[in-house]
Amino acid sequence: MSGPLAGLVQQGDVTGDVAVECDAVVVGSGAGGATMAAELADAGVDVVMVEEGGYHPTESFTSENLRALRTLYRDGGAGMALGLPPVVFAEGRCVGGSTVVNGGMSWRTPPDVLRRWAADEGVLAVGEADMEAYFATVESRISVRPQDPETVGRDSRLLAAGAEANGWRVVGNLRDQLHCAGTNNCINGCPTGAKRSMLLTHVPRALSRGARLFADCRVERVTRSGGRATGVTGRFVRPGGRSGPRLSVRARVVIAAAGAVQTPLLLLRSGIKSASGQLGRNLALHPNATVIALFDEDVTGWQGVHQAFQVRQFAAEGLLLTAQNMPPPLLAALMPAHGRHLGELMAQYNRVVTAGPLVTDSGEGRIRSRLGQVFYQLTDQAAARVVRGVELTARALFTAGARRVLLPFAGAPEVGSDDELRRVLSRPVPKRVMDLYSVHIMGTARMSEDPRRGVTGSFGAFHGVPGLIVADASLFPGPVGINPMETVIALALRNADHLIEHRAAHGL
Amino acid sequence: MIRFAEIVCPPDGRDRVQDVLAEFELLVGALPAGSRRGLAAAFLALDRGARLYPRSRGRRFSGLGDAAADAYLTALLARPGPAGNAARKLSSLVAMCYYELADVKAELGYRPGPYIAAVARRRLESYGAEIRAGEARVLAPDPPRAAGPGTP
Repeated sequence: MSGPLAGLVQQGDVTGDVAVECDAVVVGSGAGGATMAAELADAGVDVVMVEEGGYHPTESFTSENLRALRTLYRDGGAGMALGLPPVVFAEGRCVGGSTVVNGGMSWRTPPDVLRRWAADEGVLAVGEADMEAYFATVESRISVRPQDPETVGRDSRLLAAGAEANGWRVVGNLRDQLHCAGTNNCINGCPTGAKRSMLLTHVPRALSRGARLFADCRVERVTRSGGRATGVTGRFVRPGGRSGPRLSVRARVVIAAAGAVQTPLLLLRSGIKSASGQLGRNLALHPNATVIALFDEDVTGWQGVHQAFQVRQFAAEGLLLTAQNMPPPLLAALMPAHGRHLGELMAQYNRVVTAGPLVTDSGEGRIRSRLGQVFYQLTDQAAARVVRGVELTARALFTAGARRVLLPFAGAPEVGSDDELRRVLSRPVPKRVMDLYSVHIMGTARMSEDPRRGVTGSFGAFHGVPGLIVADASLFPGPVGINPMETVIALALRNADHLIEHRAAHGL
Repeated sequence: MIRFAEIVCPPDGRDRVQDVLAEFELLVGALPAGSRRGLAAAFLALDRGARLYPRSRGRRFSGLGDAAADAYLTALLARPGPAGNAARKLSSLVAMCYYELADVKAELGYRPGPYIAAVARRRLESYGAEIRAGEARVLAPDPPRAAGPGTP
């Protein structure tokens, strides 16, 4: 599935302003947007997708990290949630969205999370039984399966061995992959096409059923008439970020699926407000931290898939531990060193294992539309989880044979043993020294049947704005505590079914 | 900026500073305008701020010798709070650009090209038929779903 796709329009194809009409316009082509588009097109709905990023086929993906950051990510992958501490976050910006650059981990929403969403926000039809068919469809469409053993890297095996030697539960990661080759290039785009991102699945599925896709086009506003959403307007983006011709789309239904940062920003700058005041609030981001462990022998962690396993022993505490190999530029960025010391540390690149916790947090962040800025405050509880997760990760790595460990806390000394680790972490770790990042932003247009509490109803329809539907991780009433992609896709399938069942009410 | 890159990069990287700066320009070009302005301001503050550092004897960072520049940057990077954070981010960006250079990666023993080619070939040889069947499923109709969502 490569080369220009039928129905795809890129900025280079456009010489003047474009105006189109359709039944449904979808903003974004990631996990939520591409899925909604494919389902609606399958039901005979005339669909237009609009994607700010470019179309980059599998053949274009290389191991050049900075090139990938420039071309496949928003803002060079350097989004920043301001707060104490600031948290760097990354969002995909390309056809296929973040699914093109994520690790491909695909897990069902934990049942207790679904129960909480139903209990706290009255979300309908979100029980395990309701979602079963959707999860099954996702897993079939994007080929969710365990990793073939020959592709597992030594770094993942070391973390798993260290965890298991401590008696901790370890599970093999499930991914959206058709016999992943283990290139360890997920974050730069899968160069073999094994990762079944939206670029290779729901985008072509939608296009094969008659949908149209405008890439390189930034949606500026959702248009409304009489309070009802009526379409979108935007501009094509020329090379270098220059502004190009206008795009106007008139539609009976507008589906906002630009991700949990861009969706609320788009709606807020369009003058759309939630009566609950919750649009842009409740942002959670699963903070991650990276422990760098140095071994005496070669690990060559870049040979083999990253995050082959998850340490699940501490899931009830809101912690998952994984090993994720960093290519040299990203590892160098994490090293607490410069000059000669940086060179000495990096010279041991092939003896390094990088691993860390993914922390379940609470929705304490928000997006301010005037500034276009994300603000996030790490709670004391989440900060304590970060420290605990770092300690557990380091302990597993020492058990596996690491000689030295560098902690993701500015000014922390290198530690050479588990005892030393305990001593260092027995002192309080201030939030301001924590080096955190995120790739899971959620919750900024949360579902709730109560319009006083939520932004959308149970099926993504925006409270008080007919014709407007949200279809991305913004919908989550809280963090899922696990990789969110499958939840986003399953909810999009479910919400598309609901929309199709009620299509007459939307004039579809 | 040149002086900063010379101090951040390992000593044997000095003859690659122009390549680092070229990467840096490309990377910064992908950042939003506000971030670019912030970076420029941070560089300026780092350069001028050196005058307040005792060992600089009133000189800017760009005018410091190696030892004094290294000591100033070491002190700055160790500081908690916004100044230290900004210095760490700048240092990280430059280090990223240095370690993106192809010959630097190769010196570390990181040569993903041949590895990717080999495992991609192994994948097709081992699982070709299954892969083609899976790819065909993308466009195929679904079997009917067992159940739909409840209707409010």
